[in-house]
Amino acid sequence: MDFSAVVQDNINSLLYFVPELILTGLILLLVVADLLLKEKHSPWMSIIALAGAVVVMFSVVGQYELGTRSIFNNMLVVDPFSLYFKLLFLASAIMVVFLSIGSIELAGRPVGEYFTLLMTLTLGMFLMASATNMLTIFVSIELVSIMSFVLATYLKTRRRSSEAGLKYAIYGAFSSGLMLYGISLLYGLTGTLNIYEIGEVLAGRDSHGLALVVSVIFIIAGFGYKIASVPFHFWSPDVYEGAPTPITAFLSVGPKAAGFAMLIRFFNVALATGGGGGSESWSATAGVDWPQLLAVISAATMTLGNLVALSQTNIKRLLAYSSIAHAGYALMGVVLLSEQGIHATMFYLVIYYMMNLGAFLVVIICQDIVGSERIEDYRGLAFRAPIPALAMGVFLFSLTGLPPTAGFIGKFYLFAGVIKAGTSFYWLAIVGLLNSVVALYYYARILKAMFFEKAGEEATSTLPVSPYYVTLLAVFAVPIIILGLYWAPLADLAHHSVGFLRAL
Amino acid sequence: MITSAILILLLPLVAFIIQIFVGKRLPRKGDWVSTGAMFAALALSVGIFIDAVAQYEPNNVLATATWDWINFGPVHVTFGFLIDNLTAFMLVVVTLVSSLVHLYSIGYMHGDPRYNRYFAYLSLFSFSMLGLVLVDNLFGIYIFWELVGLSSYLLIGFWFEKDSAANASKKAFITNRVGDVGMFAGIMILFSITGTFSFNEVFAAVADGHVGGTLLTVAGILLFFGAIGKSAQFPLHVWLPDAMEGPTPVSALIHAATMVAAGVYMVGRTFVLYTPDALLFIAYIGTITAFIAATIAIVQMDIKRVLAYSTISQLGYMMVGLGTGGYTAGLFHLTTHAFFKALLFLGSGSVIHAVHTQEMDEMGGLRKKMPITFWTFLIATLSISGVFPLSGFWSKDAILASALGFGMTHPAHMPIFVVLLLSAGVTAFYMFRIVFLTFTGEPRDKKKYDHAHESPLTMTIPLVVLAVLSVGTIWWGWVEHMLVKPELASYGSHVASAVEHAAEEHGVAHSAHTIAMFSSVVVATLGILLSAVVYFWRKISADAWAEKLKPIHTFLWNKYYFDELYAATIIRVTLFKSRLFAAFDLKIIDGIVNGTGRLTAAFSRLQGSIDLRGVDGAVNFVARFVGYLGSQLRGLQTGNIQAYIMMALFAVVLLFVFQQF
Repeated sequence: MDFSAVVQDNINSLLYFVPELILTGLILLLVVADLLLKEKHSPWMSIIALAGAVVVMFSVVGQYELGTRSIFNNMLVVDPFSLYFKLLFLASAIMVVFLSIGSIELAGRPVGEYFTLLMTLTLGMFLMASATNMLTIFVSIELVSIMSFVLATYLKTRRRSSEAGLKYAIYGAFSSGLMLYGISLLYGLTGTLNIYEIGEVLAGRDSHGLALVVSVIFIIAGFGYKIASVPFHFWSPDVYEGAPTPITAFLSVGPKAAGFAMLIRFFNVALATGGGGGSESWSATAGVDWPQLLAVISAATMTLGNLVALSQTNIKRLLAYSSIAHAGYALMGVVLLSEQGIHATMFYLVIYYMMNLGAFLVVIICQDIVGSERIEDYRGLAFRAPIPALAMGVFLFSLTGLPPTAGFIGKFYLFAGVIKAGTSFYWLAIVGLLNSVVALYYYARILKAMFFEKAGEEATSTLPVSPYYVTLLAVFAVPIIILGLYWAPLADLAHHSVGFLRAL
Repeated sequence: MITSAILILLLPLVAFIIQIFVGKRLPRKGDWVSTGAMFAALALSVGIFIDAVAQYEPNNVLATATWDWINFGPVHVTFGFLIDNLTAFMLVVVTLVSSLVHLYSIGYMHGDPRYNRYFAYLSLFSFSMLGLVLVDNLFGIYIFWELVGLSSYLLIGFWFEKDSAANASKKAFITNRVGDVGMFAGIMILFSITGTFSFNEVFAAVADGHVGGTLLTVAGILLFFGAIGKSAQFPLHVWLPDAMEGPTPVSALIHAATMVAAGVYMVGRTFVLYTPDALLFIAYIGTITAFIAATIAIVQMDIKRVLAYSTISQLGYMMVGLGTGGYTAGLFHLTTHAFFKALLFLGSGSVIHAVHTQEMDEMGGLRKKMPITFWTFLIATLSISGVFPLSGFWSKDAILASALGFGMTHPAHMPIFVVLLLSAGVTAFYMFRIVFLTFTGEPRDKKKYDHAHESPLTMTIPLVVLAVLSVGTIWWGWVEHMLVKPELASYGSHVASAVEHAAEEHGVAHSAHTIAMFSSVVVATLGILLSAVVYFWRKISADAWAEKLKPIHTFLWNKYYFDELYAATIIRVTLFKSRLFAAFDLKIIDGIVNGTGRLTAAFSRLQGSIDLRGVDGAVNFVARFVGYLGSQLRGLQTGNIQAYIMMALFAVVLLFVFQQF
């Protein structure tokens, strides 16, 4: 191999790596600013983080002109697919900064390292969305995971937070181990780590034997851990409950979406053949029926998430199970081996971002004004604090998938994709529909508590909500309604971002 | 030959392993294991050396061996040995000095509570140093380079109960790391261009013009950064004087004869990589080092510190030798210096052993009490001062001639020679200052003098052997023939540079040699005479002059304020950063650790509370079946991480079964 060509490619690649470089600069700037600023809670930190994230966002948008390009010797790729997810990650990071500013849980904790970790996590997600080599895939997953561990334990004085982080770390190590083993098997089978080359090598063979199946299942363990799908979800309720709520919100959206980006790319590139643009579908590599495998995981995930959510009394735990269930929905689009299915998943993830973060925002507000995470303490909230209650109504409607909210459109695309894919996945559509009904019960239970039940004797006064929170609630709730009525722009964007797989 | 190379490398390693694990239980705490291993390695090295001499070819490659080590995609890293004349020289120097130091240590370290560990570390050091000399690639040299640094750290801080020793070991390690970062970057530049670490392949790539120009200059200078650290060159020389906190035999072996010469060796080994610009840089660093260290040595009162500064100064000479194109001269001085400087250190150790102080203020008149130490010390002093016909005369003269030749072809760089010559006079002055203050005159501390006695045989025999080696009149001829400056055919054509190294042109070299020889003899004589006037005949009062030249004296006494400068700049910044990291530790790491400690209790409490909630969490508004199912599934979420992992594993197996049927 010619080394100067390798080096040259690395140097040329820097031009296509600008958003990540800016993000890295931002991380370093945050570290330095934290040192220079005297106060531990200087508002400047959040201002820097936000301004930096906005700059990165502009540079990501600028990259849409570049088309598809493989960089750093095929370690990463810049394509509309990754850019779509990067925008989603940035939007999550920005909103989480806003969520964190007001959170009373985080008050009193130094903000400098918090934002630094948050932005490093975002960098990790960027790399996850772009990775096209098993090594970069693994390393970027680890970058995200390690930052997540630390953020989950951020309230180190709170026992649950420390415990959450530890469990997260142990479980993460377990999954990483499995995944790494799977990667090494795959490398042994194909002699390459590049997922495009893996795809070619596998497509050129008729049978692969057991090793490929084992390898794929182990790799699913790694992805499954990131998206919190059954049976790799066990960490998530404990972590979601223990971590500071803004972090819970972030973990339930950002890394999950990053996991999906990576999962979609890996399975459709490395383990599928055929296709080639358009809405044409392609087929899975012979020997591993991963679509059926993922379909089973999808069904199990949404069923388990929804059923267990039924009996939760803590709102954060409930939302944790709800987000497990939503990972199951989103997986439906991945198994279809069609651009339409992937399109539906991508579309759904954005909507899920808005409604889930919105729901967590209400949780943060209630921690502040009610001082509780228990659903029974939400009783009568509609009379004491009408705006958060109303907004929560929008978010929960959307999570359930009722019109006229964006959640309905998202689910519609998913189910439509599954039905269109043919009879082999009808069962999945039925499971999905039944699950939506189950989900309605527990979402409705919260609404019932807020709107129809009376608060206890001692809690009748109205609760003031700051204009800051009202604005934030509007930022989430209004688009959900608008997208429920006019979704074409987002759907188009998602559609244009799919054509990544066969190219290159 | 490769077999003996492997044996040479393995002997000290095995000795280290034995010593560190079972040394304490062996008779005599196992000192004979390490010492024996070293003498065996010496015998094998001498065998290789005799082979090299028998063939008597310039830069003869005696043997090579290469094994694949790491194969990863396009990256192939090999590991191998390269034995040529230079290796043969270095092997003998290292094993010889090391064996003698082992022998000497038996007497010197007698009764130390960590006697066996001391010998273990010595063996570890010998292993690392021999590996450094034997490997055939940059990656290997870097590994052994770091191992050498580690053993040096362990030995400097051997008496870690003393704060000063612990601090000195840290200082040495950290200062060295600063240089090593540069070295690593240099290696990586070369690797990224050539795709190989192997010396020969990298050299070939340079010869092909594959690498060149500014990039090669930068890579060379970065590589040299490693040597700046390890060979204690300006501005990273500050660690070596402090390293004298280690046991004196260690100072002799590591901080005088071998490890600090590793930088010189490395530059010699990779000589063809250095562009003329890089060599010029090396020459100037060497010159500055030689001068600064020599002047500091004039005023120090601690005998080992004077020797330490002398070492730094002499290493500067070697660098100048290499930098001005005197490849042979620089490496030759490395060899001669190893013997006479080890002798000086072991001699000073013998003195310290006798009077239990390192302050020359408290010595004096020891000649009669310690005749062997005195005479051997005197021989070494004459040698380092460059007195004909001792070994130091030949090697130092060769370096001065190289510098002068360089200055004659490039008059702008004449100051190198002038400064070097001046430093040679200073060297003679301060070395004889030690001799006069320590061995002649009236004892200044009567009590210590009365207790003094000649050292035991294990200590004096090495002194005598080294003294014999320092009288090396016949050296120069064959060294010059065996270590010829390597040239690459197309080297000059594609390297644009301000200077050309044309000093080898016969006429210039010859006249340079004559002039250099005479001037160095004159300067050395002047230095010795001045020293005698001040410290032997006491015609001039050193104290009075110190008073008159107060500012200069203070400046030199404080070693040019390097430590203060670093404390005020680099160290302050670093401490600032470390406070940040400490805060991180305190807040996050400790948080996790404490959390882990309480986890067991937390687990049981959590399970208890889940049981409780399971009871009252009755689900009254869904169909009973769904509710039942939900709570059953919820039971899986016990909060127990082991259970989670078991279930996930079980699920993986299920998925596998599902996929198969």
